[in-house]
Order: sequence, then C-alpha cells, then structure tokens
Amino acid sequence: MRKLRNTLAIIAAMAIVSTAFAGCGSSESNSSGASADISSAETDGDRIIAAAQAGKVGNWGLGNEYEILALLTKYGQKTEYLSQSFDMDGFDDGSITLASAMTYNELGLVKNSYEGGYGYGDNVGIIDMNDEGVAMLEDNLFCTKEFAQNNPNTVKAFISASMKGWEYACQNPEEAAQIVFEAGSSVSSEHQAYMASEVKKLVETDTNGNAVNEYGKMDEEAMQQTLDLAKQYISLDDSSAASKLQNLTLDDIRDTSYWTDAISGNFGVPEKNSVSIQLKWLPQCQFMGYYVAKAKGYYDEVGLSVDIVSGGGDIGETTAVNNGTVDFGVTWVSNLISANSGGMDLLEIAQVYQRSGLVLVYKK
Amino acid sequence: MPKKINVKTAAGSVIYPTLFGAAVIISWQTGFLHKLLKTDEYVLPYPTKILHIMHENSDKIMLNVQASVKVALLGLLLGSLIGYFIAIIATVFPKYGSGGLTIVSAFNAIPIVALAPVFINWTKDVSEEAEVRSMVAKVLVVTVTSMAAMSVNAYRGLTELPPFSDDLMKTYAAGKVTEFFKLRLPNSLPYIFTALRVSVPGSVIGALVSEYFAEYIIGVGRQIRENILIAQYATAWAYIITACIIGIAMYIVLMIVETIALRKRK
Repeated sequence: MRKLRNTLAIIAAMAIVSTAFAGCGSSESNSSGASADISSAETDGDRIIAAAQAGKVGNWGLGNEYEILALLTKYGQKTEYLSQSFDMDGFDDGSITLASAMTYNELGLVKNSYEGGYGYGDNVGIIDMNDEGVAMLEDNLFCTKEFAQNNPNTVKAFISASMKGWEYACQNPEEAAQIVFEAGSSVSSEHQAYMASEVKKLVETDTNGNAVNEYGKMDEEAMQQTLDLAKQYISLDDSSAASKLQNLTLDDIRDTSYWTDAISGNFGVPEKNSVSIQLKWLPQCQFMGYYVAKAKGYYDEVGLSVDIVSGGGDIGETTAVNNGTVDFGVTWVSNLISANSGGMDLLEIAQVYQRSGLVLVYKK
Repeated sequence: MPKKINVKTAAGSVIYPTLFGAAVIISWQTGFLHKLLKTDEYVLPYPTKILHIMHENSDKIMLNVQASVKVALLGLLLGSLIGYFIAIIATVFPKYGSGGLTIVSAFNAIPIVALAPVFINWTKDVSEEAEVRSMVAKVLVVTVTSMAAMSVNAYRGLTELPPFSDDLMKTYAAGKVTEFFKLRLPNSLPYIFTALRVSVPGSVIGALVSEYFAEYIIGVGRQIRENILIAQYATAWAYIITACIIGIAMYIVLMIVETIALRKRK
C-alpha cells in the first residue's frame, strides 16, 4: 500500500511535467498547416513539394541521404529531412509523409502483411530515384588498392565466383532466399523471398530500365552520375577532404580491369586463398550472391575459402576493409567516394546493383 | 592542516596529471600512440589536424554546441528540481519516502540508449514541429537520468542531520516548517553539489546519446555518429573533442559555483 501510493505520486509528478511540455508544444501545432496536404497532391512533384514544405520528408541520414538531397534540390526545396529510424513507424504514424525505403527491404515491410509488415498493400505509392534522374549506384564490391595490386588473381577469382553466385541467385531467387535464410537470417523467410525477387530487379536492370546481362558490370554513365551527384551533395567539414572530393575522377574510385579478366576467366592461381568479405548490413538477400556462391561451392572451385562477415548498426565497412580486418567489402558507391575523399585508398572492383533501390513511399 | 603538505599535494595534483596529459599529446602527435594502440592516423588523426578542422568549422560547431548544451542544461535543471521535490516529499512523509526513492533510482538504471528511442516515439504528438518534439524528447531523457542522483542525495541531506541538531530545534520549540527551512534545507546544500557532480557529466552524455535517435538532425552527438559512418574520422574527432570540452567546461562552472556557495562552511 505504501509503495503503491509512492508510485502513484511519482507517476503523477511525471505526468504534470509531460503535460506541461505537451502544452508548450501544441500551441505551435497549427503553424505549418497552411501548405498543401500530400494526400491531395496529384503529381510526384506536388507530393515532394508538399511533404518538403511540411518538413515531413524522411531519410536515415548517415551517408544514405544524398539522392534525397538531390531530389529536393531538383524541386527547388530546402535540403532538410527528418531522421528516420530503421523501422517504418514514423511513416505508419504519419510523422513522416514521404519516407525513404529500399525497394527490397522497407517497401516490402510497408506493403506486405507478413511478420514485421505493416500491410498497406496497394494503398501506398512510390517515387523512384531512377525515374527522377537522381539515381546513385549502391551495393558494389571493393577492396583496397594495395590488396588488389598485391593479390590480382585472388581479386579476379573472387569476382568471378561471386558473380557466378549472383547469376545463379537471380535465376533462382526462391532457392537463394532459402540459402540466405539458412545461413543465419535476420528476417523472416517470407521477407527474404520478397527481398530476393526485388534485388534481382536491381541487379538485372539499369537506371534507364534496360536489361543488364553482365553481372557486376560498371556502367560508365551511371558511375559518372553517381560521382557528379556525390560531389554536389556530400558535404565534408574537413576542407582538405572536401577539395579532394571535388578532384576525384572515376579512375580514383574504380578499376574495371579486374572485372573484365574475371568474367573472361583470365586469371591464375590465387595469391591468397583464405579471404573475408564485410557486408554493409545484416545477413539478408541484399547480399544473396555471396551466400549462394559459398553454398554452391563456387568459391571452392576457384580455390578460395571465404568468410562472410555480416554488418549492421554502426559497423563501417569502408573502415573494416581499409584497416585490413577484412579483404573485401560491400558498400554504396557514395560511401566509397567519401571514404576516399577522407584519405582511404579503396577501389571498386565490381558494381553489383545496376540501379538505385531507393524510393520515397507515400500513402495514397 | 600544516601548510607545507597542502602545497605539496596541490602541486602533485596539478603537475603529474599535466605531465601525463602532455606525454599523451606528444606521443599522439609523433605517431608513437598509433604504434602503441596498433591503429593508423586515419582512425586516430593527429591533434593538429583535429584542431585545424575545429578552427575551420567553428561556426557550425558552435551551432551544434548550443543545441546540445541547451538540452543538457534544461534537462539537468528540470531533473534536479523534480529530484529535489521528490526528496522533500520523502522527508516530509518518511513512511512513504523510501519506496519512492527506490523507484526513482531504478529509473537511473535504464540505459540511455534504451530510453531515448522510447521517449522519441512517446513525444511524437507533442508538436507538429520536429524541432520542438525532438527537443522535448531529448530534454526528457536528460531529466530522467539526472533525477535519481538529485533525489537520493538531497534526501540524505534533508535527513542526515548533525548530531542533536534535531533535538536542539525541538528545545527551541521550533515547528516542522521552521525546522525544515532553518535546519534541513541548509544542511542539504552540500549534498546538492554532490548530486550535481554526478549529474552534470551525465546530462552531457544523455544529451549526446539522445541526439543519435532524434528526428530533428542537430547536435554534437549526431555529428559524431554522422561523420564516423561516412568515414570522416578527423571531423568526428573534432566533435568528440568538442564534447569533452562541453563536459569539462560545465564541470568547472559547477566547481566555481560550489566553492562560492559553500565558502562560509569551511
């Protein structure tokens, strides 16, 4: 009884404080209601402008935001966005009306009703970065320049087997999903299957919607667009890094020769047999090619033993590769660009995703 | 206390830490520290480079410092007031006091990383403006974390009175109210500073960590995370040093206020 009264007293005290805050906040709640509502907007442009004016465009930030900044600039809006958490609760509760989503991950959770999903189905629409002309390339394969120079055959063998894995995964997405799920999945098997089918589209279609049949190809035009947008929208406080960024060319960030030799089978015995690859995120079908290559024995065929290291949270894949903790890594091209601007010496050796997987999702 | 020893200890407490600090900075700048910690000048940039970035971006850094300090101070003030209020209740109604204090202390055991996302979600309806609701959420996190230290310490200050002072007040036929204002309240003053010594650094940590999760993007903590993730370690270090300076500066201010406030007691 005694404790109960005390508990109640404390809860009451906290309630007083929180209502005091609520009061001071709600007085301003109508100040931004003047701009047009996103649900009444008819074109994507109107939707972007409406959401930007209301300050309700969401992105995760932390190096994932550049395409959104480019899009906001394209429509003459201020480059401000809300920090979106890694779930879609902000979109669900309406505090973010135009939320960032990867087609293969968050969009599936918004649309589908399996475990962890929000079940919106066809009640949501998307704005595609590729269609808007602000696409930046994402998941690639990279290592340090030093590693590539010292172990050219290892690099080529790794690319060759990995791309074979990607090819098989894209031809058999359901089997790939099962392989990833069994390899230690972070999400449900239904979501993995959805992810495999969506990732396939990103790997086999370019930014203009044309089919790509060479896995891991570095498309010159898309790479250049990525670099150009990166120069415009990556802002670095370190002036020496910022000026290095402005002077970067494609040759500073990628080398196509390893991939060309790998695809034509033009490589010898690997210098280093035991290698590791750092993923950008948790084990999921975003990286199915590597899991398939390992499960199907493609790495063994070229004489490699591969350790797949999953990422997630605040693990920086560029740092892990740069300091030699792992040999290869998967990152977004924009992240590799900012890492090299800051002084790292990383080299892209294959471009797995041929188009941007980032979309903005809104409720219809 | 003999004066000689006093000078000696004072010199020791200043000189040795200063020498140690200088040694660390020199070995850092010369690269010896990198060898010792088996790291490179990339992850741990040289002090000169960090200072250069701080100098270049002083305006932007000040903007973020203001945001973080505002959160830390508001939360500290609110948390300390509530904490003290709880201590008063516990003193006036001693029968119910201990239970309440236990619960408040339990709040302190919740990690900030767990608390922050909960408060961010909880305060979503507070305002349409992301800047306002993020601010409220961050302040609430600091409030909760600084509440416990104050309530527990203030309770001790209000109840652990000098021997027989309580009896003395009774012989003066002082009422409960007089006793509270003349004896208990002044007696709790040193304990308030004991609490603040814990909660001032805590409030800075609370503010920085809650910025990680806030919807509205601003603050020293957010800049640290942002720059580490895009592999800009030198810039991240500039903000880490800034965070250290905020913490130390607030602690120094507290020490000065404490010296002035408790001057007559020594």
